[in-house]
Amino acid sequence: MNKRLVPLPRSRDHAGARPHVIYLAIGFPPAAKSCAYRMRETANQFCEQGWDVTVITICQEAWEREYGLDHTLSERVDPRVKVVELPLIREDLETDIRAFSEERSLDPPGWISALRKREQKVFPEPVFGGWRYELEKAVLRVHREHPADLLLTSCAPYVNLAATWKLWEEYQVPYAVDFRDGWSLDVIGGGEAFTRDSVSGRWESKVLDHATAVWCVNDPIADFYRQRYPQLADRVQVVRNGYDEDSLPAIAGRAADPSAGLTFGYLGSVNFTPAFLEAVLDGWRIARRDDPLLARSRFEVRGHIGAGAAREANRHMDLLKEAAADGVSFGGPVPKAELAATYGSWDALVLMLVGGRFVTSGKVYEFMATGLPVVSAHDVDHDASNVLAGHPLWTGAVGLDPHRLANSFAEAARMAVKATDADRAAARELARRFARPAVLAPAVRHLAELVRPAAAGASAPTATASTGDPRP
Amino acid sequence: MTNVLIVASTLPKQPAVLIEALERFRSRGATVAVACFFDAAELEVDPALAELRGFVVPAAERDARFRAALGRAPANRKIWLHARRNPWVRRRYRQADLLVALDVRAVHTVWEMAQRNTRAGAHYGLVPAQKALDARRALPPTRRLERQVAATAGIGARGARRLAVQTAKTTLKKATGQTVMGNPAGAWLWTRAVSAPRIPDRYRSKLALRLHASAVRAGQPAVAARASAAAVRRIGSPKTRAQMLTKAAQAELALGRVPTGLHDAIRAQLELADSLLTKNPKQASFAVSNAWSLASNRVLHFDRLTSPMSADPGAFLAPFRASVAARKLSAPRGRVAPAATPPSGRPLRLLVTTLINHNFLQEILQRYESMPNVEVRFLDLYDDPVRRPLALSGSTVMEHLLTGETSYGAKIEEWLRPHLDWADTVFVDWCQATAALFTLHDPGTTRIIVRLHSFEAFNFWPHLVDYSRVDDMVFVSEHLRDLSTAVLPQLTGPDAPRLWVIDNAMDLQRYPRPKPAEARFNLGLVGVSSVAKDPRWAIEVVRKLRERDDRYTLTLIGSNFNNRTSLPAKKYGKQLAKDLAELEPIGAVRRYGQTDDVPAALSEVGVILSTSVRESFHCGLVEGAASGAVPVVRDWPFFADKPHGARTLFPADWVVATPEEAAERILAATATEEQWRQTGQSASDHVLKTWDWTVTQSGFDRLLLDD
Repeated sequence: MNKRLVPLPRSRDHAGARPHVIYLAIGFPPAAKSCAYRMRETANQFCEQGWDVTVITICQEAWEREYGLDHTLSERVDPRVKVVELPLIREDLETDIRAFSEERSLDPPGWISALRKREQKVFPEPVFGGWRYELEKAVLRVHREHPADLLLTSCAPYVNLAATWKLWEEYQVPYAVDFRDGWSLDVIGGGEAFTRDSVSGRWESKVLDHATAVWCVNDPIADFYRQRYPQLADRVQVVRNGYDEDSLPAIAGRAADPSAGLTFGYLGSVNFTPAFLEAVLDGWRIARRDDPLLARSRFEVRGHIGAGAAREANRHMDLLKEAAADGVSFGGPVPKAELAATYGSWDALVLMLVGGRFVTSGKVYEFMATGLPVVSAHDVDHDASNVLAGHPLWTGAVGLDPHRLANSFAEAARMAVKATDADRAAARELARRFARPAVLAPAVRHLAELVRPAAAGASAPTATASTGDPRP
Repeated sequence: MTNVLIVASTLPKQPAVLIEALERFRSRGATVAVACFFDAAELEVDPALAELRGFVVPAAERDARFRAALGRAPANRKIWLHARRNPWVRRRYRQADLLVALDVRAVHTVWEMAQRNTRAGAHYGLVPAQKALDARRALPPTRRLERQVAATAGIGARGARRLAVQTAKTTLKKATGQTVMGNPAGAWLWTRAVSAPRIPDRYRSKLALRLHASAVRAGQPAVAARASAAAVRRIGSPKTRAQMLTKAAQAELALGRVPTGLHDAIRAQLELADSLLTKNPKQASFAVSNAWSLASNRVLHFDRLTSPMSADPGAFLAPFRASVAARKLSAPRGRVAPAATPPSGRPLRLLVTTLINHNFLQEILQRYESMPNVEVRFLDLYDDPVRRPLALSGSTVMEHLLTGETSYGAKIEEWLRPHLDWADTVFVDWCQATAALFTLHDPGTTRIIVRLHSFEAFNFWPHLVDYSRVDDMVFVSEHLRDLSTAVLPQLTGPDAPRLWVIDNAMDLQRYPRPKPAEARFNLGLVGVSSVAKDPRWAIEVVRKLRERDDRYTLTLIGSNFNNRTSLPAKKYGKQLAKDLAELEPIGAVRRYGQTDDVPAALSEVGVILSTSVRESFHCGLVEGAASGAVPVVRDWPFFADKPHGARTLFPADWVVATPEEAAERILAATATEEQWRQTGQSASDHVLKTWDWTVTQSGFDRLLLDD
């Protein structure tokens, strides 16, 4: 049968109807993923601006297997947002052995490797490639039930691009890609992740070519895409990550107690190498050895470590346990609703980040806005350094040399003891431009304007200037 | 009370994580047992937390049936086979409410346990298991019954299936075995079957390999070749075709035979390489590497008494010369500037370099290190433990040469450039990896000299050397130069390096020593460790002599025969051992063994033999001759019909063709003590004035010091 049947009309053809955006957002709340905050705010902003929003994500059981669920995240999702959960799940993370076939039980890595090959035949992305057809069907079904004016797809996973393209092919529904970290860019290594003539390269090129807008989280990534696809240059926009006001602790009335020691904290996924963690812990040990205040202090690590069968059972856990004698503890993930309290119980933060100039991460904004001193444990040439520049309670990026990190810990301890409410307020004020609504509202408005120029009212400011980017 | 059984196949990498989990299980009131497929004593766990037991069945307690089952089972199933024989493990898994696989290899064992205890939860990983414990609720009776029925049926069905598969495999194995393939009717039938249409390539190639191996074992190489050819004609994928032919050839080589389809396999790999060269040079390099691995296999050249390379280099290497990819490996890339003339205002900087073997460099190094006008550095690439792997992989060099820029190339540049920058002249001993690496990049104005001894001519390494970056090639004899130029046409073109024949550097003055009269009847052979030395030829000679006079004996000097290199070497070694078992007890043959004092060993030898099938020079013979022993040289068969060989290297009366001729020469030369001493003295005089370092060093001086 010819799949190119007469396309259904899009809702924009119905005068007066509320516009509808299908938002492919795998990682939407209640998934306990760092991308959930950005997705939640994006969906809320569309609602705020008068759109019907249908979020397509995967079932909650799937997140249980990965980093878990945080239902407190869903509490602040606009009730008008419709969420469609697809019964897609990462088979590779299955830990119930009763669900294994005999073949899988005999050779779990071999079975997963065969699975990866099958997935990549469907779409050139390991782990998620096999979801392509289900996503395509879901997008078409949602569109047929409620015609869409826009599809916004959030990557990763990149298999979303296939579903995005399907809707474009079948119904020419305009789409935008929230690329976040990009696909063809190796954000950690800094080079090209794949060539333009590879299968992935051809997919990326094809889908981006017709995109109404392409969002990236920082300038280096945006520049990479502008250079790679010059014809897209004016459609590539920087839409930074941000922080949520309800995650922040109170600034006023804080007073560190040097006699009892301080509490340093890290909050986020432990997704760096054991060697990285070891360097930070070594720095912490040196600092404790050399500084009596730090010798009385503690370092709490909160977040997710490992997934599936390896959850909280890897080398990182060993390192953290070994460091227990040095006042280091691991406390597991923190629900969104408890973030403010957790930050409130800490005196200084340790920002551990992988990658370099192409990586910003989301947590840097939140760390900045807490108003607490920040120890940077990442490359000197890291985009987080650009974000933190000017922060009055930042120790600066010194790389990962344990001795230099030890100095940073000592410096942060001094800052924590001496900082005044005014200092903390100044830090938070500096971060204000990264509050999620400040970042995402103009970006969503601009996108809406591109899709429905007549309905969007006053013209939106340029995306770059409106997304809190510190660069002119 | 909840019972938990944790199965671990190896000592946990994170013991602290396990102990914390055990504490959590205990805090929830669970009783935990840990079944270890290793020595449980290696895991230190407080007995209050868990009971630990190992379940490996000791080797002494494994009966034939169990050993056979282990032999057939996939790796992870073996663990279950051990577990189910252990009464403690059986009791524990039947009682368990929760079964936990601690690591990936333990998953199958827990899976099997879960089929037998349908009540228990079965989880992979400690955190998922703890979650399951927290969320634990009783299974409804109907669901439990359903699970039990399914599991019981599954156990029966899998057992039957395993048995059926095993029976089918055994039947197929027998039907395609060597008895059937040794029978003309069976061979005809299977050759037709393997070429039947519409069989998927992977099954066809598997079947063809099986038939090929059976026919070869049945002593029917022609049948094997027919079966392979019939299958290959039906295989569409060039890669599968090349792989099948290569595996067939490798199987024959492993049996010590020259494969009938050797050239077909080499050609198939090279055709594959040529087809991939533009779109996937990396894959192309793998294919060329496979072709060279076949062509350089030691069974063809070193562990037999002949070699197709020396018999007809042109024919043997024809597929490589016809291949674009193979030609690209040795394509001249040139150098920006020619080698500079030696400096006048300072000493010549000479870098002498090798990989592992520096046996032939001592005199050279000593001479030039003592010269004020030469500054010498010595570099053995193997001495750098970090970088040495870079010098041991020919396939990586091929990949670099076919793909252009690689990180490997950058590492070689980083490693060798400082040496090239320092040296005026680099003397590379052995034309192997060192030569390929020193010519991988433009050597600048440094002069590059490469010396080829012998074995390299049969190997792939000389084909990875860029001779447009080599100024001088040195051979240790004319027949090796002839063979090398036939193998490497790059050595004869207008832009070829200068070719030199310079004798090995040998200090022969220390060998002449008085010999006792009884040495007259003692034959000596220095170096007996390989097939190429053919020590059985010497045994044949001593047998012939003893038929006439049982005073003749043979002394074998050097390490014992190495029969571990290949099957043909093993076969040869067995025959040699048989000879020795017969002749040693009666005193006809003596093994002197390895010695650092060769002159002393040679002082007891009256007749020195060279029985090799190939030699570049044979220092052991010349040293023996220097000692005053009568030299008797087999006309090395690899070169006997060539313009140069043993007959042109040594005085004609030293050289014989057969053991009979050798015996005749020995009988004549040792007829009287006077005759023997006179012949020996004359040979000693000849070698000392021809090959002693005091004479031959002038050749090196001309090579290294002349402008």
